[in-house]
Amino acid sequence: MTGYDDPLDLEFEEPLNFPPALANKKKKVIGLDDLLADYYEEKSKVVEREAKRAKKKAKYDSDEDMDEREKEFHDQVDEIEKTMGHLSGDEDAFVWGLQVFGNQESFPPLQVDEIESCELLQCVRNDEVNSMVGLEAQKGATFLEGLLKNGWLLNLVSTRHHLESPIAAWTFYLMLYSPNEVLRRNAYDFWSGVLRLKDKAGNLRIKLNWLPNYHQLKRAIEIYGFGLDVPARLSSDVGMDATGSESPGPPQNIRYWIKYASVCFQVRETWQILSTSEAEDLTFVVITLFLDRVLSGLSICLHECLIAAVSYFKDDEWQASSQKIAENLASRLPNDVNCLRVVESISGVDARSKHLRSAVAFQFLLKCFEKKQADAEEILELLTSTNVKDKSSDFYKMYVHLSLAENWLLYDLLLKNKPVICQMWGLCLRNFSCNISSTDMRSHASKELPSNDQNGDPSPVVRSSSSVKTRLASICPFCSVD
Amino acid sequence: MPRKRGRGGGGSRGGGGGKGRSNREKFRGIEENTLAILENSSTATSHHLLDDRLAFLQAVRSASLVPENGTAPTNKMLEAVFRILKDEDSLDLIVESYELLLELNKRYPRVSLSLEVKSGSCPESEALSKLIVVEEAWCPFRRSEKEESSSSNGELIDSSSFHSLIEDIAEITSSRSCKEEMSRRASEESCRKLDLKSLRNMLLFHYLVSILEGDFIARTQAFKENMNWALLRESILNVILGSRKTSYKDLIKECLSLMCDLCRGLTEFAHDLRPNGSLAAELRNNIYFAVQLTLPEVETRTCNALKKLLLMIMDLDSSRNLADMSDLISRADGVRTPAAEIILNELTYDGDILSPFFLAVDEPDWKLKLVVQFFQKYIPKSSARTRRSNGSASDVTFDGILKCFSNQSISKGVNKKIRAEVTQLLLAHAFKAYLSIASNQSAEDISGTKQDTGAGCLVEICRNIISAFACLQKDNKRCELLEISKEALFTAGTIIAMNPTGISH
Repeated sequence: MTGYDDPLDLEFEEPLNFPPALANKKKKVIGLDDLLADYYEEKSKVVEREAKRAKKKAKYDSDEDMDEREKEFHDQVDEIEKTMGHLSGDEDAFVWGLQVFGNQESFPPLQVDEIESCELLQCVRNDEVNSMVGLEAQKGATFLEGLLKNGWLLNLVSTRHHLESPIAAWTFYLMLYSPNEVLRRNAYDFWSGVLRLKDKAGNLRIKLNWLPNYHQLKRAIEIYGFGLDVPARLSSDVGMDATGSESPGPPQNIRYWIKYASVCFQVRETWQILSTSEAEDLTFVVITLFLDRVLSGLSICLHECLIAAVSYFKDDEWQASSQKIAENLASRLPNDVNCLRVVESISGVDARSKHLRSAVAFQFLLKCFEKKQADAEEILELLTSTNVKDKSSDFYKMYVHLSLAENWLLYDLLLKNKPVICQMWGLCLRNFSCNISSTDMRSHASKELPSNDQNGDPSPVVRSSSSVKTRLASICPFCSVD
Repeated sequence: MPRKRGRGGGGSRGGGGGKGRSNREKFRGIEENTLAILENSSTATSHHLLDDRLAFLQAVRSASLVPENGTAPTNKMLEAVFRILKDEDSLDLIVESYELLLELNKRYPRVSLSLEVKSGSCPESEALSKLIVVEEAWCPFRRSEKEESSSSNGELIDSSSFHSLIEDIAEITSSRSCKEEMSRRASEESCRKLDLKSLRNMLLFHYLVSILEGDFIARTQAFKENMNWALLRESILNVILGSRKTSYKDLIKECLSLMCDLCRGLTEFAHDLRPNGSLAAELRNNIYFAVQLTLPEVETRTCNALKKLLLMIMDLDSSRNLADMSDLISRADGVRTPAAEIILNELTYDGDILSPFFLAVDEPDWKLKLVVQFFQKYIPKSSARTRRSNGSASDVTFDGILKCFSNQSISKGVNKKIRAEVTQLLLAHAFKAYLSIASNQSAEDISGTKQDTGAGCLVEICRNIISAFACLQKDNKRCELLEISKEALFTAGTIIAMNPTGISH
């Protein structure tokens, strides 16, 4: 492990040329000043001591040169801020998040007309029971709510081997639209129970007159405010255009939407709730949900749902379906840090999600290079040909490219058998690490570039090829650099 | 007996030098690299801190979970992940570290069973599964009381910190339900912090219970096969319960009341508070919104974890009983009141927790067992027992209990001792548990079980429950039927209507 200390030294001796010059700059520069201050704060004391020595040298540097480079740096930062839609400085450049949900529409009514007269309530023909229960005709709905809350409804339905439409619709709408947590939780439990009812032999034990389909699920999430085309709004204007009656989505019901979607994926064998293309679309929706920070706590549920989603497909469908999902994601989501979030949210714990992760990363990469189609060699050549010495090169983009490429290659199980690709990738990385000097102060050049790696290179500033090599050797054993 | 897990299985794969040794070495490199991400950040801004930690978690994930032939993270790495879950204040980090720990535990369990199918060698041990304990593997629990002296283990959980974690969660949960009354000012900083803190504690608790569970289930399985009590004696759960640093009874009571509080909280404050208009819009970008969306899920998980914990303790008691009958329990094991007894006492003295308790415990076997035990205290011994009884309590069935209730004189006696509402609740819940068991069983495997649940029996039980409720009403004219009783009766009526002849065998 050569790693840690040596490269750090390299890194820190030179950038320290800047601070003394900066101190006298006009106000505009203060942003940069702070930036650098933050930057240096991260460093260890040893490095700081070295820095003091380095300061002496700084005096020999010409101010014009400074200005030029500074300006360039600043321009870069500005540009990135603009692209990111954030205004508050370096902090936000790498913060993912899209507002996937806009305002909610008004919810459909929860009452189903025929519910009072449903067969289930009429079927007890025992006078003793009827007198004790004392069921009044108008109270049917309330009584059903009780049956649902205490879990009897599933027992009743499985006893009768039949779920009639009014009750099916009523419980389904409760799950998706009820503001009452108990009702929607029990409605979800009920539905997931119903769809999984089977006898020991694996045969269906229940007849459904009404089965909620894909369109109802899709409609529900639209009502919650889902829409990728919702114009991205800045935090500051949201308050202004919200009128009194609107409330921002999603509602609490989203949790059950996600869980119910998982069940739909899982019961393919018994209930054909989703067609393959519908399942593809739903998978796409689930993945985009990872982008909304509001749902970040629910990523537990989302991950489970995504696992269910990728297991839905049959082996012969998977290749084409995963390709479609990946293309869809790449074409509809921005090529910024958000696409990295998308890629990273696909967990990669099983073969299917590994494949999807790789495919999605590759599609985004194609989009980055504005290619419709290209093979692996072509993309790697493009990547390698990026001239990092060029002053105008965009390191932010490069950061995204590199991360995508790493995900694409690391998660592709087939690449083990393609030594050429591995060699090219190694070459590409070496090219980057050798050609970007550690003193490069362009944004995201030396500071951010390496830390992007999936594997999280230890210190963002260590750029020696040996550390990349170490990392590669340890993380992707199939990719031997050298 | 404990054996090191083979770290290989690796020789065959990979183009490089796939020897175990070099794998290890590689991994030490990864440890150094990943931990370095965290080192630098002591003085960095909060944003960078957060980024670094997320990057670290990602790094651990891609090193250990992504490769098919991955290696478990080193103990230092696991400690660092655990520390993030324990100490961080960012929703992202809490959730991410929690998920990571759960997945790592699933993939690299410290204790597991291996089914060794050895043909020929020795037939009687062939079916035995072998308990594999990776002794040197990291575990969030302190392994023994002595271990505390070493300072590096200060972070680990022992019985008292486990107990106080539950108390912390309980405190915030009860304070939250009061707060709900006041119109809650969402943006209030303290409220948000509190929510985040309880969220973190609850996820931490859930993770700890999953560790206890993995350890306990494997050991119980092995114990059942070879009756080696030492295996269970060394289980983390048993060590925690046996610790003198905390009161075992208090722990059970605390779990019970928290579970009921959570369950009640999930039922009573059930309506969404939907902030409207500009306040809502302001909140949209607030972490508050995300925490609010997550809390119900986490509370449900916590409730389930508490239930699991209590059920495990009761299972441990049963195993201990078994071991005791074979004279395997020594004085060193100490004495412990069975958890079921403590729970039943609590249920007897605090009628308010009956309903949430039985709503929360949806594990039908235990539910039925507990109700039967509860009634047994009040029903004269001879009447509830079936003929084959040899005096042990477990032979009393739900059916037997129901028959007692149909018997006027016994039912009168019981009703003097238990409030009618309590009886109703218990009968209804037991009936529901019975139905769940019945629906999970197919016709052929009923004969061997204690609770007979065949179709004929089911109708019989339905008739009995109706007559039990009828008796209850006759006995006490003022007794109104609870909603849940009516629902039980209705269900029983429906089942009878569906099986009019009452198939008997």
